[in-house]
This record gives sequence, structure tokens and C-alpha cells, in this order.
Amino acid sequence: MRHLIVIPAYNEEEALPQTVARLQGLPAGFEILIVNDGSKDRTRDVANALAATSRLPVHVAHLPINCGIGVAVQTGYRFAVTDGGYRYVVQFDADGQHDADYIPALVAAAERDDLDLCVGSRFICDFGPGSRSTPARRIGIRFFAWLIGAMSGTKVTDPTSGFRCVGPRACRRFADSYPEDYPEPESLFWCARNRLRVGELPVRMFERQGGVSSIRKLKAAYYMVKVSLAILFDRIRGHELPALPLPQPTA
Amino acid sequence: MINAEFLMLLGGIGAFVMTLYWVRVRELRERYAIAWLTVATLLLLTGLFPGALKGIAEWAHLSYPALVLFVALGLIYLNSFFVSVSLTRHYRWNVRLTQQMALLEERLRRLEGKEAITGEPQVETDVTSK
Repeated sequence: MRHLIVIPAYNEEEALPQTVARLQGLPAGFEILIVNDGSKDRTRDVANALAATSRLPVHVAHLPINCGIGVAVQTGYRFAVTDGGYRYVVQFDADGQHDADYIPALVAAAERDDLDLCVGSRFICDFGPGSRSTPARRIGIRFFAWLIGAMSGTKVTDPTSGFRCVGPRACRRFADSYPEDYPEPESLFWCARNRLRVGELPVRMFERQGGVSSIRKLKAAYYMVKVSLAILFDRIRGHELPALPLPQPTA
Repeated sequence: MINAEFLMLLGGIGAFVMTLYWVRVRELRERYAIAWLTVATLLLLTGLFPGALKGIAEWAHLSYPALVLFVALGLIYLNSFFVSVSLTRHYRWNVRLTQQMALLEERLRRLEGKEAITGEPQVETDVTSK
């Protein structure tokens, strides 16, 4: 069974080689897609070079202009759907924040619990300082967790985590429609609202290894307002997927 | 003597001429021209028959120029709103095309790589035979 790891990359020439190197320990069956989001540095050349030398199959999609994180990630879902044959798609940051050792666990948890979206959470277990984001961001994360819980009834601890494993149903939907910017809380809420199965798994995260965060201080206020409104707008939409069958009792 | 009614008439004629010119040089699609010709017609009618608008102005306790301004702002709002809708749609199309191009480029690179290894063409180039 094949699984795809999608790495959106914007100006990540420094961190990308180390990130791909960390993925080389994964078992056979995992493939990597680097989506170069119109980078202005040498990310394009670095990604092409990594594709030529990697042990795991590495695909590279170059968006000709910078379209934003949501479009870059959606390109990965579109690749998985059109290319076919992938069971799970794992989102993985290029900047070295995510720990590749947790990828098999995320996929296993999604398979075991039949999850459509399994989110790697920093807040279920304490992995020490540096793994839980800044205090200001934690307030924002808690707010989104509360909002999603209030609007959908689904309890989550880390709705902004970009380390997540997506099953076929959600993957097909994300390939068709995905939020453009700051997509994680909104896409998670969409899954919860449409009665897809959402779960979390404790994961360790690291400090950024390079590049620039897509959320800087000046954008923080816009981020909070935009994502909150997007969730509220999404709440007034009807169900966009038929209800899942009820779990069958085991004999 | 210039008054509000005369200005409406001039505005209507100007809007007609401008719309027809841009359609003629193929810089304005007919579907958008219909909306602008409707605006021009409204301006012309209110200029030609000011009594109709004056009746509405009296009913709304507004002066004729104030009502004209109110209607104009309403039309500008509607137009701007639907331009935003159109922009959203075009953004989505652009994104889809950009993604498709990137994915096709990736597929082409993969097929070229396979072709270099096997020495055999990986895709049928003669589509006319199908």
C-alpha cells in the first residue's frame, strides 16, 4: 500500500535537504511530493536534486507563482487523487518542525480507528520546551479548539497543526476544494461538520530549522479574524457529504 | 440651462456610447455589456422622464439629486459586489490552471525519465489515430 507525504515548500532551500533526509528512514511504500510554491530562492534546484538522489520516490511539482500554503497543499491532494493508488496523504512541513518518526504512527492510527483526518497534536503529551509553540500562539490555538468544539461538537487540542494524515474521503474533497490561506483549522472544521472521523495523536515538534513562518506578527490579527469568520461561514453551510454508515457491532 | 435631469440625460448617452465602443473593439464581453446598457437605459429614462423619479423622491422624502445619488450608489455597490464575485471565480480558475500545469510538468518529467531509461516512448504522440 502506498502513502504520499506532501511537503509544501516556499523559500526552503536551507531546510529542505535535512527534512527529506529525515524521511529516508521510512519503510517502503511511502512516496514524497515536494510542492515548490513559486519560491524565489534555490528551492526549485534543491528539490530537483533531492528527487534524483532520494531512496524513497520523490516527485516535485513547481507552482510557477507563489499561491500560498493552501494552494500548495491542495496541489498535493490533487496529485494523490489524479495519480491514484495512494491510501493516505500525510502533510509534512518543509521547515523541519515535524518529526518524521511519527509518520508511521499517524498512518497506523488513521487505519486502526478508520479516521478521515488524524492530526498530530503537540498538546496531548508534554515533550519539553520548544515543542509547544509560543504562549501567544497557544492562546490562539486554544481559541480555535474551543470554536471548533462549540460549532461541531468535535474536541481537538491542536487545530492549527499542519502535521496530519488524511484518508481517501477527505483527500478527494480537499483535492476539489481547500481553504487558500491558514487552512488547517478550517479544513479540520469542515471534516468535523461533515461527520467525517477526526482524531488526534500526540506528536513531538521541533523549532523551525530555516525559512520564514507564514504567520508573522502583523498578520496574526488578520489570521484570527479570517479563520474565525471562515469557520462561522462554513457552519451555516449544509452538509456536503452523505452521512457515514454507523459502525457495525462486532460479534 | 443645466439641471439634474439634463445631466442624467447626458450621462445616459455617454454610458451608451462608451459601452458600445468597448464592445465594438472586443474589450468588453457582451454579458457584461448587457448590465451596463441597462444602467445607460435607466439613466436615459430618468433624464427623459424626470417625473417618474420625482414621484419616488417625494414618496421617500428626498430631493431629486439626493435620490439620483442614492440610486447611483446602489448601482455602484451592486457592480462592485459582483466584480468581487467574478474575481473570486477567476482566482479559483487561475489556481486550478496553475496546479494543473505544475502536475503536468511533473508527469512529463517522470515520463521523460522513464523514456531515457527504457529508450521507448512512454506516451502515444499520434492522437489523430484514435
